[in-house]
Amino acid sequence: MTFVARMAVREIKASWKRLLFFFLCVAIGVAAIVALRSVVQTVRGALQDQARALLAADVVVQTNRPWDDQTLTKVDERLAEARVAARTELIETTTMVRPADPAKGGVRMVELQGISPGFPLHGAVVLQDGVRFRHELLADRGALVRPELLVQLDLRVGDRLLIGDTSFTIRGVVASEPGRRVGAFSFGGRVLVDRAELLGTGLLSLGSRARYAIMLRVPDDSMEQLVRTLRRDFPQQYVSVRSYRGTEDQIGEELQRAENYLSLVGFVVLVLGGIGVWSVTRVFVHQKVRSIAVMKCVGASSAQVLAVYVTQVAALSMAGSLLGVALARLALLAIPSRWLDGLGGVTPSLTTSAVLQGVGVGLLVSLLFALVPLLETRRVKPLLLLRDRVTAAPPSGAERRRLRERVVGRLRGADWTKVATAFGVGLALALVAGWQAGSLRVGLLVSVGFLAVALVLGLAATGLVRAVRPLRRVRVFPVRHAAISVQRPGGQTRVILIAVGLGAFLILGVKALERNLLNEFSIEARANGPDLFLIDVQPDQAEPLARFLEGAGLQSPARLLPVLRARVTGVKGRDVSLESFDDVRSRGSLAREYVVTFRDRLEPNETIVDGQFWTAAPATDVEVSIERSIRDRFRIAIGDRIRFDILGRVIEARVTSVREVEWADTRAGGFMFVFRPGALDQAPRTYIAIARGPGDAAERARLQRAAVDRFPNVSIIDAREIAKTVEEVLGNVTMAVSVVGAVAVFSGALILIGSVAMTKFERLHEAAVFKTLGAGTRTIAATMALEYGTLGLLAGAIGGLASVALSWVVASRVLDIRWDPSALYVAAGVVITALTVTVVGVVASVDVLRRKPLSVLRAE
Amino acid sequence: MIKLAGVSKTVMSGGQPLTILHPTDLDVARGRSVAIVGPSGSGKSTLLGLIAGLDAPTTGTIAIDGVEITTLGEDALAKLRGQKIGFVFQFFHLIGSLTAFENVLVPMELAGVREAEDRARQLLAEVGLSGRGHHYPSQLSGGEQQRVAVARALANAPPLLLADEPTGNLDSRNGQHVVDLLFEINRTRGTTLALVTHDRELAARAEMRIELRDGRVVARRGPGPLDGPHAGVAVEPIVR
Repeated sequence: MTFVARMAVREIKASWKRLLFFFLCVAIGVAAIVALRSVVQTVRGALQDQARALLAADVVVQTNRPWDDQTLTKVDERLAEARVAARTELIETTTMVRPADPAKGGVRMVELQGISPGFPLHGAVVLQDGVRFRHELLADRGALVRPELLVQLDLRVGDRLLIGDTSFTIRGVVASEPGRRVGAFSFGGRVLVDRAELLGTGLLSLGSRARYAIMLRVPDDSMEQLVRTLRRDFPQQYVSVRSYRGTEDQIGEELQRAENYLSLVGFVVLVLGGIGVWSVTRVFVHQKVRSIAVMKCVGASSAQVLAVYVTQVAALSMAGSLLGVALARLALLAIPSRWLDGLGGVTPSLTTSAVLQGVGVGLLVSLLFALVPLLETRRVKPLLLLRDRVTAAPPSGAERRRLRERVVGRLRGADWTKVATAFGVGLALALVAGWQAGSLRVGLLVSVGFLAVALVLGLAATGLVRAVRPLRRVRVFPVRHAAISVQRPGGQTRVILIAVGLGAFLILGVKALERNLLNEFSIEARANGPDLFLIDVQPDQAEPLARFLEGAGLQSPARLLPVLRARVTGVKGRDVSLESFDDVRSRGSLAREYVVTFRDRLEPNETIVDGQFWTAAPATDVEVSIERSIRDRFRIAIGDRIRFDILGRVIEARVTSVREVEWADTRAGGFMFVFRPGALDQAPRTYIAIARGPGDAAERARLQRAAVDRFPNVSIIDAREIAKTVEEVLGNVTMAVSVVGAVAVFSGALILIGSVAMTKFERLHEAAVFKTLGAGTRTIAATMALEYGTLGLLAGAIGGLASVALSWVVASRVLDIRWDPSALYVAAGVVITALTVTVVGVVASVDVLRRKPLSVLRAE
Repeated sequence: MIKLAGVSKTVMSGGQPLTILHPTDLDVARGRSVAIVGPSGSGKSTLLGLIAGLDAPTTGTIAIDGVEITTLGEDALAKLRGQKIGFVFQFFHLIGSLTAFENVLVPMELAGVREAEDRARQLLAEVGLSGRGHHYPSQLSGGEQQRVAVARALANAPPLLLADEPTGNLDSRNGQHVVDLLFEINRTRGTTLALVTHDRELAARAEMRIELRDGRVVARRGPGPLDGPHAGVAVEPIVR
């Protein structure tokens, strides 16, 4: 054993420079894993710590209908049992606010929160200018607002603000407040008022969007019990009970997914590093053949020799992994704090678990990738020491084969150890990928795809070697020798094809996915789409509002649609049967609240894909038309009966048609459920108005102000404003996705360039001999360019095609987004790959071309 | 020490069998020296490789120091070489990443010898290189490298020393020095010496001489049993 250890140390001392690249490959991969994982873990940790503050309570019981006495009595009863330490109530709604001063024309949508004394139970409301938050600030129609609102409406503390028709005085500016979900989308900044006064504004009519919450502080030991009891008491859909633990879990789950996805990207980078490791190790073993032969000649067994090199690889992997951790640390420092603003100002730092995983995976992957080439050492026979006559004439083809056979052992005979090892390595990689992705299925998918591409590349190499055989007779020197070179035994053709092909596959795959993701996010600014949405219009306002809008200078006439808020509480169908709301809840998003409408005709953006849409004639039956995605996701079919709860009324409707909505064209809105007129005519409903507002910003503002002045309870969503906010949010997402993609591409390219450059060592000698025999630099360069160019093109093409398949599978099967083959993009990738390989191959050998041949021959 | 019976080597070349060594007998007693001579491609190195167990014969048996080696596996052969056979090559074949001292150390470490370092220093001194042990092969001249190789070959005090063109890559002065060293070892330690060479003068210093041509023994000369069914065709007088 001491021999192995000593030998490993000595060899590293002498040849670490040659393995520098190996070291870097591992480092880059590990850095990617550690950095990505650390960021997510830090953010998750911070958010989970803040879970109580996010909820602003231990437990929240909430509904989006006003509390009825029966429910409240029941809740109070349970709270009495549970030794609740504190309790406060809250109402939240979106509405419009405007300055009371008529000279100031602005109007804004805000999230209005009516709070009671005691709020918040956890976390704190922090006000600007050192003002301490206390509930008294809200007394006598006081309001606290976000700083943005002051700027937007040109207001100051002390000014008066109209909410609905009620005037409030601004008493302070909120710097930070609890109960705000990170990254959650909101229609506007928050305004805090007293709960009783919010109720007094008359904004909360039937059908308005509002959240009524009872917030509780509960001892930890009785919390779970309380949540469970309340959930049992209110199996209905409209009362929900959440504890901060649930929030913790939810945040945990969401971020766990993000972490696993990012780790998989990190793993991909590390696999690229692994390809680099494989390539370096291969060349390294070739360079060490003589040393290995000597060791065997003086009594080392194959196992001992293998152990010497495995030890070296392990030591270097360890060192590379540690360097990777250091790189990750630097990368975290380099993250602009701007990106993290959206995450609650968390400063990411390395986490122990990320470091351990990174180092572990780094060691594992590099050992796995190095193992197969290292097995070559077993086949090195000491006989070669008697066999190399460098000064002798180059052996003929037949002689060379014979020599090779005698020197490195039989090539054709299957090396079962190697086959078994390769299989084991593949399996181990699949497991590591599964571990990193947090899903064995994904890991297996990635690995199978990877192996399949590798196999195709291997076959392509064999095919190429066959295909160029006739070219050996071509008279043109570079063509002939490029062909001979491609056929050269020793597997260089295969190495370049596999390394570059897999690299191109992964890089182009990640980039193609990135493009698909970004496509999905990009908001199409439709030239003629509606951009003003007036919501919460009460039935008696519909008529006046329509008239008001007619004279408002809109670019296209407004349309008013009746809308109702409904929940699915049961399904009786051919394929699915959901008895209770609990069953519905088990179907995920089917349980959410849907906005539904009724009408007697299809909109231009709708087409019937199944069944038949009703006619205008009256019907006795309640009929509903569902959107295609409802059919596809929840397997609800024509003829099934769906039970709805529409603001307390239960309605059972028969599915008579399936519509497909062109979501990109939402001029007429898009509804998952459309009812046949009749059944809902008397149901409590509101209207929404859809319009394309004036193009001029000032005119738009005037219109909005005038509308709110006249209809104070109506909220106006200005899509142009929203688009700005959304663009900002998406800008961050886009940036994050692009950065991750760029890291993968950059490190991947670096590693591949290195891998190709490494193959030059195998041709040093040959180039020197050619020069001795009179070949010019240009001829040799042309030969190399032809050879590398062909290999690069073939590898790029196969990798590119495979990446198209990869992006399709991930886009359609995993992420469930629209897929675009990005053909031009992939084609460009293929060309770039071919050019890069050619340039790198030739440039890496420049010193060969420049060097005097004798020095190379001597060095042998 | 070396005993070959009907040893031949045939390889497949371009689908055709090619005999590079025809059946040969050889018996070299302990402490003797033998030179294997012949033109390029005559099978000299093949013969040496077979004796060292670096290659397996197609027919026949080989025994080294009474141990039948034709049936041994690769690792057993490696162990046997480590203990019983020392090697000197034309191209020295020192491990480039190790110092001279470490190169000498390797066979002893493999054999698990204690106080290997003292012995390595002593061996380097014997070949006249004390003080150069910390140099890497690239920092040594050809002659010096070959002397390190000799020291390495002697590391485990093997009873058999094999040399493949030991002077082929050295100038005459350095060559002479190495040759003197080899024969001195043969004489003083009783180590059996087998060397392949082109050099007639060098061959003449060996007690026995075997000449090969096209894979056949065409002449042999010297003491010891030289007959047998596959003995050479003629015995050529050696001019001393």
